[in-house]
Amino acid sequence: MDNGKNIIEIRGLKKSYDDGTIKALNGLNLEVKEGEFVSIMGPSGSGKSTLLNMIGALDIADEGTIEVAGIDLMKTSQLNEFRSKEIGFVFQMHNLIPNLSVLENVEIPMYETDLSSKQMKDRAMELLKAVGLEDRADQIPTKLSGGQRQRVAIARALVNRPSIILADEPTGSLDSQTGDVILKLLRDLHEKENVTLVMITHEPYVGNMAERIVNVLDGKIQN
Amino acid sequence: MSYLKLILKNPFRNKTRGALAIVGIAIGIMVIVALGMVTGGLKQSTTSTLKAGAAEINVMQTGSGNFGSGRINETRVADIQSISGVKETAGLLKATNTSTSGSSVSTGSTGTSTGTGTTSAGSGGSGSFGGFSVTGMDPSKLNLAGIENVTGSLYSSTSENEVIIGKTASTDLNKSVGDTINLFGKDFTITGVYETGSFMTDGGVFMSLTTLQNLTSNNNTVSTIAVKINEDANTTEVSKSIETAYPNELSTTTAEAMAGRMNSALSTIDAASWAISLLAIIIGGVGVINTMIMSVFERTREIGVLKAVGWKERRILGMILGESVVLTIIAAVVGTIIAVVGVVTLLAFSFGGTIQPSFAPEIFLEAFVVAFAVGIIGGLYPAYRASRLSPTEALRYE
Repeated sequence: MDNGKNIIEIRGLKKSYDDGTIKALNGLNLEVKEGEFVSIMGPSGSGKSTLLNMIGALDIADEGTIEVAGIDLMKTSQLNEFRSKEIGFVFQMHNLIPNLSVLENVEIPMYETDLSSKQMKDRAMELLKAVGLEDRADQIPTKLSGGQRQRVAIARALVNRPSIILADEPTGSLDSQTGDVILKLLRDLHEKENVTLVMITHEPYVGNMAERIVNVLDGKIQN
Repeated sequence: MSYLKLILKNPFRNKTRGALAIVGIAIGIMVIVALGMVTGGLKQSTTSTLKAGAAEINVMQTGSGNFGSGRINETRVADIQSISGVKETAGLLKATNTSTSGSSVSTGSTGTSTGTGTTSAGSGGSGSFGGFSVTGMDPSKLNLAGIENVTGSLYSSTSENEVIIGKTASTDLNKSVGDTINLFGKDFTITGVYETGSFMTDGGVFMSLTTLQNLTSNNNTVSTIAVKINEDANTTEVSKSIETAYPNELSTTTAEAMAGRMNSALSTIDAASWAISLLAIIIGGVGVINTMIMSVFERTREIGVLKAVGWKERRILGMILGESVVLTIIAAVVGTIIAVVGVVTLLAFSFGGTIQPSFAPEIFLEAFVVAFAVGIIGGLYPAYRASRLSPTEALRYE
């Protein structure tokens, strides 16, 4: 792990909605080292999710600079390609496609790559094995428990070997026991795959599992 | 899983909605194919009739209204032969047999007919369009009625118990060479089977002119006279010469004029079928748009996920358009199958098999092109909308 190099560099990031009425980010600065596990915490409406969306290039800032994995997100027009190669998302509600099998759900991010169907399948099976669901590959998500679905979502997030995993309340819809399993899995994969992990949570217990906690309030970093 | 497989799988996530969209489009496609097959069949028959009718001019009694119902003195057959430009003439007597097995009789006076004067149709009976037509004609002049090839042999001009039968009538009545057929209460031996391509001509029988005249008490009388002109002669001029020579007695119809009338009628049918098809396509198209918009609405969050994992706009656009086309192509297959089965069954039972449906490839090609176009047009707006969704808004969608 190279702890000296920043994979995320944000300077003076601003984002507002409703013609400037709502200031979601208000000159936010943040640096995250490559391979780091960072928890972003803060009250509801503090700007956590907006920050995560900016890092994942799901939204564009109004002002400031944001460089992720060496790419200036304020300048590049290849945001889809950036997301496909560098980012893996894990959502609170897992967001799996209900009519596709577990295996097919994990394959979805690889459609924008040059991999053959067999290569896609092999890679998806590798990840399903890593999350302990290789025997559920042909089932549809509705047949799985909440924890199993989130494990599928984690496999999907990792399938393109991203530099960064962005997890938005990954245990928010799970009971504490299942949540622990998911957190342990995320932490293990973060270490094993040497992937940077940025996780939003509002639970101190969950946040404390990270190497560093970043508190956000009123669109700015507090610590 | 391939992208194509995903596109094939997605339209059936909501099976009821997918099936209803397919039904809507399938009805439109069915109308296009069914009307195409019927009008195509009529066109083919008309073309065959005109090609088959070697006679360029048909002469009938003035005021008789249609072929077969008038009466002309047989001596006019030879008289017209002497008119300048006329190469060959043949008298035809037409009658309608109301039963092919019984003894009931009707003469040509009850018949109605179109075509080149080779057949007629009357009331009741089987084996032809509205009746079983019987034509009396000299066997050496059958080419003027469009009969070129006969399987078996011809009847002789003096034969009192021989006929040749059209292919359609032969099939419908299950009669072939050597079989006996009862006409006007008398048994006739079938000596040959002919095929002209005209559904009306092929739905009847031909026998010796003298024999039919005797059977129907129409001695020395014919219904129409078929006239073939010299190669260098002008059809219109010869027609006028005939009418001028026998004013208030004989009228003429040229094959050219008849073709014009038939084409005009078929053009009207064509226009009507296109109007009906267009209406069906619009209704089906609206159904597709509705289905795809609903599908996009329901999958808003899912589309957000696809964007989050890096799918490009054009891939999402292609997926939704592809799903739309899948629906309409399946509808085209379903509509085509229903149309083929329906038209074949309907024509076989309703018209005694006299109208043969057309299976021209362009009819089916047209249906699939229309289905594809409806799929693209119907899917365009929903696909565009899906591809332009903001990922953050899509992921927040409840």
